[in-house]
Amino acid sequence: MHAIYEIVSGPMVWLAAIIFILGSLYRLIFMGRLAAKKDPMVFSYLSVYYSLRSIFHWIIPFASVNMRKHPIMTVVAFAFHICLFAVPIFLCAHIILINEAWQVKWWYLPNPIADVMTLIVIGACIFFLGRRLLLREVRYLTTFSDFLILAGVAAPFVTGFWSYHQYPGHETAAILHIISGEIILVMIPFTRLSHMLFFPFLRGYAGSEFGAVRNAVDW
Amino acid sequence: MVVYSEKETGVETKHLLMLPAIGLVILALSVIAAYSQGDIPFVKDSAFENPRRPPVAFYHDEHNEKAGLLECNGCHHVYENGKKLESSASVGMECSQCHLASENNSAIDLIRVYHLQCRGCHLKKNAGPILCGQCHQKNDN
Amino acid sequence: MKTPAEATDEQIIDRGIEDGAAKLTQDKVKRVVQKMLAAEGGARLKTYIETCAHCGLCSEACHFYISNDKDPAYSPAGKIKQTIGEIVKKRGNVSVDFIKTACEISFTECNLCRRCVMYCPFGIDAAYMMLFMRRICHKLGVVPQYIQDTAHSHSATLNQMWVKEDEWIDTLHWQEEEARDEIPGLRIPIEKEGADIFYSVIGPEPKFRAQLIYQAAVIMHAAGVDWTMPATPGWDNSDMCMYTGDVEMMARLKKVHFETAMRLKTKRIVMGECGHAFRSVHDVGNRYLGWKMAPLPVIHAIEFFYELLRDRKIRIKKKFQKPVTFHDPCNIVRGRGLHEKARYVIHQTCKAFIEMHPNREHNYCCSAGGGVINCGPPFRKKRVTGNRVKADQLEAVKAKGAEIVIAPCHNCHGGLEDIIKHYELGMELKFLGDIIYECMEKE
Repeated sequence: MHAIYEIVSGPMVWLAAIIFILGSLYRLIFMGRLAAKKDPMVFSYLSVYYSLRSIFHWIIPFASVNMRKHPIMTVVAFAFHICLFAVPIFLCAHIILINEAWQVKWWYLPNPIADVMTLIVIGACIFFLGRRLLLREVRYLTTFSDFLILAGVAAPFVTGFWSYHQYPGHETAAILHIISGEIILVMIPFTRLSHMLFFPFLRGYAGSEFGAVRNAVDW
Repeated sequence: MVVYSEKETGVETKHLLMLPAIGLVILALSVIAAYSQGDIPFVKDSAFENPRRPPVAFYHDEHNEKAGLLECNGCHHVYENGKKLESSASVGMECSQCHLASENNSAIDLIRVYHLQCRGCHLKKNAGPILCGQCHQKNDN
Repeated sequence: MKTPAEATDEQIIDRGIEDGAAKLTQDKVKRVVQKMLAAEGGARLKTYIETCAHCGLCSEACHFYISNDKDPAYSPAGKIKQTIGEIVKKRGNVSVDFIKTACEISFTECNLCRRCVMYCPFGIDAAYMMLFMRRICHKLGVVPQYIQDTAHSHSATLNQMWVKEDEWIDTLHWQEEEARDEIPGLRIPIEKEGADIFYSVIGPEPKFRAQLIYQAAVIMHAAGVDWTMPATPGWDNSDMCMYTGDVEMMARLKKVHFETAMRLKTKRIVMGECGHAFRSVHDVGNRYLGWKMAPLPVIHAIEFFYELLRDRKIRIKKKFQKPVTFHDPCNIVRGRGLHEKARYVIHQTCKAFIEMHPNREHNYCCSAGGGVINCGPPFRKKRVTGNRVKADQLEAVKAKGAEIVIAPCHNCHGGLEDIIKHYELGMELKFLGDIIYECMEKE
């Protein structure tokens, strides 16, 4: 246990963080350079004002027509993404570990709230799974990798919840929790999870074309 | 006792694979934290007013015997100007007396030194509990 | 996965697709596709494909999807999956039959209306993806026959309808003569250097709808506008090459159009009531020529009419009496935001205006645009049944009393005409120019 723990909580964290950061930078720089080479017009039309207008519009719940058309999906998707980021970053236990390593600390969530937020993430993953299986238009688009990604996202939250509540096997769950967290970090730049990296650019470009060239709104 | 056993781990791994995520959610809602209070000694510090985790059971003499700790100031250390005083010990003092003395420090910094003291040593010696739930046990069965 | 033929319960045979595909081998498809992906498959294509979360939220944006009983094969992402998505995934290693299907989907099941871009949380441009697919089809020589014919006309005559130079000039003279019966002092000034306005139209106007040139001349005359039309090629602003994926030819057409306006030293281009032509001049063609925006101001008829009414250049004698509704064309509403100006024109000219729902940027497509109607009779039934939702939308506004549908776009007229006929809606179609011509003070 000690040996495994030391590896997963030491060198593997560094490895995952480095792959995540360098991988993300590589993807963004590579895409930027490819755009400059093959789609240089993208940069000519990018407008800061219209990019931000579009980005802000799409990160506000129910601000776009399609969000209003799918209220449940909107609520779930927003709750999911907020919790997905807030829980790992503002979890007391994580901050304790970071404080132990580097003596830095920041505001953290009360545990019961983090607990509920974790359940929200897990519940949302089940909801997304349900959509993939039950809605015809989503099932048609779904590939095997979509399930893997969904499982990958849910894993750190399921294991984290398990470990926190000390259900049978919580030691194993804790180790799996760390490993699955590392896996998802590594996955971000190289799977469809890269939508996290590209969202502002895609939205910004769409917003610029709609706003600056076409004088229309894109929501 | 705080030490986990390998037998348990084996059984529990099987559980882990079997229980679906939904089961987890339902379980979570139904779990009631019940502490069996008895004559178990816990690590205490008056600075922890509203502990977020269950207290840590600590059998002082058994632990030290098993760990081969003879010097008091191996744990109950005293520092002066950044240097450990080999001849002094802080037995009888609470950790928070020194470690919360600075105004910049808060409970989380006190937690830090506790963790470094216990878990740091366990990691170094390759023995003893290291994961959250191994010390902060919800119940002691 | 449905094959497109199942959608209409009958096999559609298109000679352009069949004959083009007959000349292909799988190996050739692979070579051409890989060359295309290497040359033009850039960051946009890559990011769009890799970012799409397969969430299906674009589906309800598409009139084809809604009208085909929510068949997921008609959703925007579903169509991408069956075409360019698969091609990128397999790096071009697809069969000739796959290309035939992909050609039919990209040319006849997507109007490039970009409604789904507003529904995708990432703003993924499905129209761009479909155009990329069409360009691959163009490179492979697999293009529906009718639209390829118009593209041929473009390359041979620089207009869409095989109109010869003398026929063009004759048509202008003929319309001038006709109009002078009504308004004796009227002129259609040809080749007038230094005029304020270069008025350009699409090929079908001199070919089938010459009265629109007549009406435009009457409006120009009444407003006292200094305008001209060229005697040379370049008068046609339309561009089917933009939709067949022949971007080289598209750029050539736009170049001739711009250069003709500049040769006559005109100050700005005013275009007739056409949507795709506006898209090609304002948004697409200029880019391929290296112009960020058009080299001289380009004004769509809606904006021009708006200016004339706002500045009291033309006066309305008596407002149009029948209740009207307005169909927002994608290329000038989602493509230029002219919806409020159009409504201003309607309020100035019509007595009763009833909105259809959804409207403005969210209006449903006519299902004719994006070159779909230009793919001709083989695909007509599919286009009309694939837009049942438009018929529902029109029926609802008819129930509120609307008798006239105003659509300031030629393609929309074509599409809506078929829909009105097929679904027996009994509504009448008009251009804004028709209304203004009917209601204005002509002297």
